[in-house]
Amino acid sequence: MSNKLESGLVDFEKLVKDGAVELLNYIEVGDFSGAIKKIQELSEARHNSFYNEVGFLTRSLHDAIRDFQVGSVDLVVGEEGSDTANKITDASDRLDYVIEMTSAAANKTMDMVDSSVPVASELQSQARDLRKDWTRLIQRDLTPQEFRELYKRIDVFLSYADESATTLHSNLNTILLEQGYQDLTGQVIARVNDLIRDVEEKLVHLVAVAGRVDSISGIEHLENESEHDDTRGHGPAINKQKTPEVLNSQDEVDDLLSSLGF
Amino acid sequence: MKILIVDDFSTMRRIIKNLLRDLGFTNTVEADDGTTALPILKGGTIDFLVTDWNMPGMTGIELLRAVRSDEKLKSTPVLMVTAEAKRDQIIAAAQAGVNGYVVKPFTAVALKEKIEKIFERIDAAK
Repeated sequence: MSNKLESGLVDFEKLVKDGAVELLNYIEVGDFSGAIKKIQELSEARHNSFYNEVGFLTRSLHDAIRDFQVGSVDLVVGEEGSDTANKITDASDRLDYVIEMTSAAANKTMDMVDSSVPVASELQSQARDLRKDWTRLIQRDLTPQEFRELYKRIDVFLSYADESATTLHSNLNTILLEQGYQDLTGQVIARVNDLIRDVEEKLVHLVAVAGRVDSISGIEHLENESEHDDTRGHGPAINKQKTPEVLNSQDEVDDLLSSLGF
Repeated sequence: MKILIVDDFSTMRRIIKNLLRDLGFTNTVEADDGTTALPILKGGTIDFLVTDWNMPGMTGIELLRAVRSDEKLKSTPVLMVTAEAKRDQIIAAAQAGVNGYVVKPFTAVALKEKIEKIFERIDAAK
């Protein structure tokens, strides 16, 4: 495809080159009607090449769009069977799915933490209370009545400790299983990533084609470099080592702030 | 002590809320960006502001500037908890009058340290 494009352009460039020599010859011998005719020929050739290139560009674009649709393989989410299986076809939907999954996992994990913290606190406070009286028992500082109560309380505590451990164990297991989101979302992101690379490759090709058209038509584009505004934020820095203006750790942030008098 | 937590992600608000609760700050309110946070602040009951930077609508740095330029709110302590870690941004936040800056991902210890430091300074200034 690109070979054809190359040869078309080489032909046109050769035509311009040869035409220029012939044009000069006509002018030197004073044959102006011949010169004008040559100019018209060149202009026509330029038009033809231009339309060829535009046609080629359009076809490339069409191919890229078609490839894009073929390339984006459907991803099946869930395993409730093929009928109910939810097909996520487009990249933005897939990323929405990642947001949902990560958010659900984070909330589930925090639910488990929320339900575990009071259990641990209660265990701690009961153990501390018992410890006090236990110490007094060791020091033989308990009345017989207090001893009988301690006896019962220890029994209650042991069964509570058993129950609590079971609850905590199950909560921790839920948290563990919930981390499976990393696998699922990782797969989705990897696919979207492939898609992006694929599209980028095709776009680079299209840009190359469009550049050829520009060279024939003589269009020049203004380089428009927009600086990203700090106020809007940049999001997490991905490649910290490669971006010197990004600080690597809380310590570096603290150092910078203290150098500013904080 | 009433603390306003501003972040566009509910999970991050929840994490900060839980950490603050562990530190003994149980009275918290939430907002999802500067635009919704400002009316709550202007309600006048907020003693401490914890805000993200990168949010839709009004960003954290804009919220900080709005707070500092409001006669009634300007002395509210502001802690920024954000993934934004560019040198220029941290300098901009410092110039805008931030009281502390914590970069995400952060630890419970880092958050605790910064909050305590802010209160120490406020107490010392009294």
